[in-house]
Amino acid sequence: DGAVFGQNVQVVDPDVRAYVYSLVTALGGFNGEDADRYVLGDDALACLRDIKRWLKLYDEKNNRMDVARCLGESNLVNGDLIPILTLWGSSEKASRHMSRVALACLELLVPMTWPLEIHKEMTVNHARHMPYLQQVQVQYKKGLLSNASAGLLRTIIRIGLPSMAMPRSERTNRDEGILKLMLYLLRNVIIITPDTRLVAEGEEEETSRSRTINAFQEQDAFALLLTMCSNVGDDFSLQDVVLLEILFHIVKGINVEKLFMDDEQRSSKRTNELHDLLRQESSLRREYTKNAPTRHGRFGTMIWVKRDDAKVSTVSGQDVLKDGQATMQKMDQTKKWNKPLQRRRITEVTVNDDFTSPVSISSTALKNLRKFVEEFLDTGFNPLLTHVRKAIEREADRVVSINSRQYFYIVAWFLEVERARRDCQRKKHAKEGKRSKDIQPDSFGLVASVLNQETFVFLNRAMQYALDNKDWEDLTAEMRCFTQILLTVQEMALSPLEEDQEIAENIQSRIFYEETTHDRILSIIRGFKDQGFGYLDACTELAHVFLRMLERYSKMNTDMQVRSRRKARRKAKEDQLAGENEIVHASEDEDQEDTERVSRERKFDFTRFSARFCNQKCVDTFVAFTRNYKELDTQQLKRAHRYFYRIAFKQEMTVLLFRVDIINLFYRMIKGPGALEPSQPIFRDWEELVKQIIRRMVKKMEQRPALVTEMLFSKINATVFYLEYGHERQTISGI
Amino acid sequence: KGSGLGLGLDEEVKVSKKRQPVAKLDESRLLSQNGIPKLRRAAKAKLRFKGKGHEFSDAARLLNFYQLWLDDLFPRAKFADGLSIIEKLGHSRRLQTMRREWIDEEKPKSSMDTFEDS
Repeated sequence: DGAVFGQNVQVVDPDVRAYVYSLVTALGGFNGEDADRYVLGDDALACLRDIKRWLKLYDEKNNRMDVARCLGESNLVNGDLIPILTLWGSSEKASRHMSRVALACLELLVPMTWPLEIHKEMTVNHARHMPYLQQVQVQYKKGLLSNASAGLLRTIIRIGLPSMAMPRSERTNRDEGILKLMLYLLRNVIIITPDTRLVAEGEEEETSRSRTINAFQEQDAFALLLTMCSNVGDDFSLQDVVLLEILFHIVKGINVEKLFMDDEQRSSKRTNELHDLLRQESSLRREYTKNAPTRHGRFGTMIWVKRDDAKVSTVSGQDVLKDGQATMQKMDQTKKWNKPLQRRRITEVTVNDDFTSPVSISSTALKNLRKFVEEFLDTGFNPLLTHVRKAIEREADRVVSINSRQYFYIVAWFLEVERARRDCQRKKHAKEGKRSKDIQPDSFGLVASVLNQETFVFLNRAMQYALDNKDWEDLTAEMRCFTQILLTVQEMALSPLEEDQEIAENIQSRIFYEETTHDRILSIIRGFKDQGFGYLDACTELAHVFLRMLERYSKMNTDMQVRSRRKARRKAKEDQLAGENEIVHASEDEDQEDTERVSRERKFDFTRFSARFCNQKCVDTFVAFTRNYKELDTQQLKRAHRYFYRIAFKQEMTVLLFRVDIINLFYRMIKGPGALEPSQPIFRDWEELVKQIIRRMVKKMEQRPALVTEMLFSKINATVFYLEYGHERQTISGI
Repeated sequence: KGSGLGLGLDEEVKVSKKRQPVAKLDESRLLSQNGIPKLRRAAKAKLRFKGKGHEFSDAARLLNFYQLWLDDLFPRAKFADGLSIIEKLGHSRRLQTMRREWIDEEKPKSSMDTFEDS
């Protein structure tokens, strides 16, 4: 009958809609004679409570989103709640009644701004309303942030102040509830971001991270956070997890390096960046013009490629005339078939994932954030993080599973900040020409709470757990945390304070003492298989830092001991041989003996340990990392370079790199098309490395013709040694 | 129903056309005359390197050599795709034994063996 399908479908029950709308209308409005003044309805407080009841008893109970949608459509937040809060905020002496109204507004705002996530138990109803609600939440955020003169965040904080001022012992449940509401609202405001898949009408700027950070600074939300964080142990103990969440969402994805540049450096870096980008672009264009046709598109060139057995292939286009490489490239490119990709499992991305993709913020926001971050390090870092760790370990009720990931991310991020800050100070002192004697060196006390044995135990356990359960996002955060701890300790060892050196030495010996840690790093790096770039970046960085520090440490402590835990099998066998008549007994005890582990100390041998990183799986992980070479920065390229250098020239296992796809990758990196930028300093290093590897390969192929076939495959352990050295491994045990 | 005399002549015979099987790069293709045997022969006959100082041109020569061989063997796949398929095949038992044989062919009789023989 011509009607568009679904046009007349009522998405919400009309009765529900009518009820909700009438409540919103009864709440109040702008009066006719004094048009810019919001006038509260007679029964406003009751209306607000009714709306809350609707949300609770209809939406929550039936697991629907209908009321939330109606509230969004009737513009409750921007049309009523925000004007009411402004009204309350601007009045000098707030009456008891108005305070209650304000609190009721806050009670509505929190559920309406609660982050919406796609999850497994979604119903059709959820799927229908969610896009609308996501978009309307962005409007809420815009409304909450844009009333800068009124300072809505400040008003909201004011609601919580009386409860905050009370000592903890005197606070009632209601007071704790108010504090919770206030903090959750701040958290929700940060989390809401315009969905890139939906149409945004110029709201990206007004609801961006920069705008949020600036509003937090201007309206003293940062001051509130600092006060609460620094008093976490004493006055605020139930709020620790929410505070952690807020911090996580403020800082996730922000580049620490940029935070610690002054304006001059930043602008010069920015011009440098622009310069670099322009140069990159021009080199791209140059590469294109080199191969571009010099005649019009219909000039019609066609060439033959002569091949074996009097066969020929034809390739068309003028660009193929240039050289043989271009021709081969074109022959390959024109093929239509692609190897089908492995289907990736569909993952639900939530607000807590994806903390590895970078976010850029404006320079004012950077300045504000830096100020906050530094003050947080000085006052709130130790109390908050100690408290949170204890809460997570104790499995307190308020803790959810996501919190440990946030904890590790925050630790990693702030340790990096602390190092950047020290670096910044050092440069400043050097610039001012002070002698190092005059400077009072800071101790690492400000971050001491995450450098103790308890944290290491916690971290180790969490890493093992994430590894066993294949929880890659968690593991990524934990790996980054471990890397930052290692780097901090390394810096600590170089500190002029003797005390710091001693502590660093102590920590290092404890970290490197456990052999299980070494084994875990190894199995992480071996276990890479399409976990995404964030994971790849984190695990290669960890392996790089860990190996280098362990190398240095074991060199300084020549008789380093590790505690190794091995299965007690061998011992059991010896026992069996000793008393053959007890065979029956032994087999009975075997199960028990199997699970029993002996732990004993043995001497640590770095060369043996690093040799364990020389296998095809580790190489494949680093190759997968290097495949992204066009997007990698200098540090990352260096990391890959050092690893391959170690493989080829320290461990003498170049054979592992002799595979056609690896050689192909290396060749493309240097000679193109799509090569590294030759003006980069790292390019020289890579060119030299690749050259040396190819030289060795050519030599090997002449020595051992069998390599021609082996070039196609990953090598078998049994043949690697022969290919490298030309004879079988001599084993003493055989004689 | 009677006209067909119960021989089933009236019933329609469904003719389902079978799809042409898609060519695959598998073990047997890789081990056929056009596969690795050809690669080994061609390498002995053709593959020459210039050595020190010509690293990148040597690498290019090597890569082209493999690309042309792969194009003959399995024209459907791009170079990188073909390489990854072959690499995967290399994990199979049959190919592993073959690979070991090819290596053993060129090995000089190992010193241990001669020691035991004498």
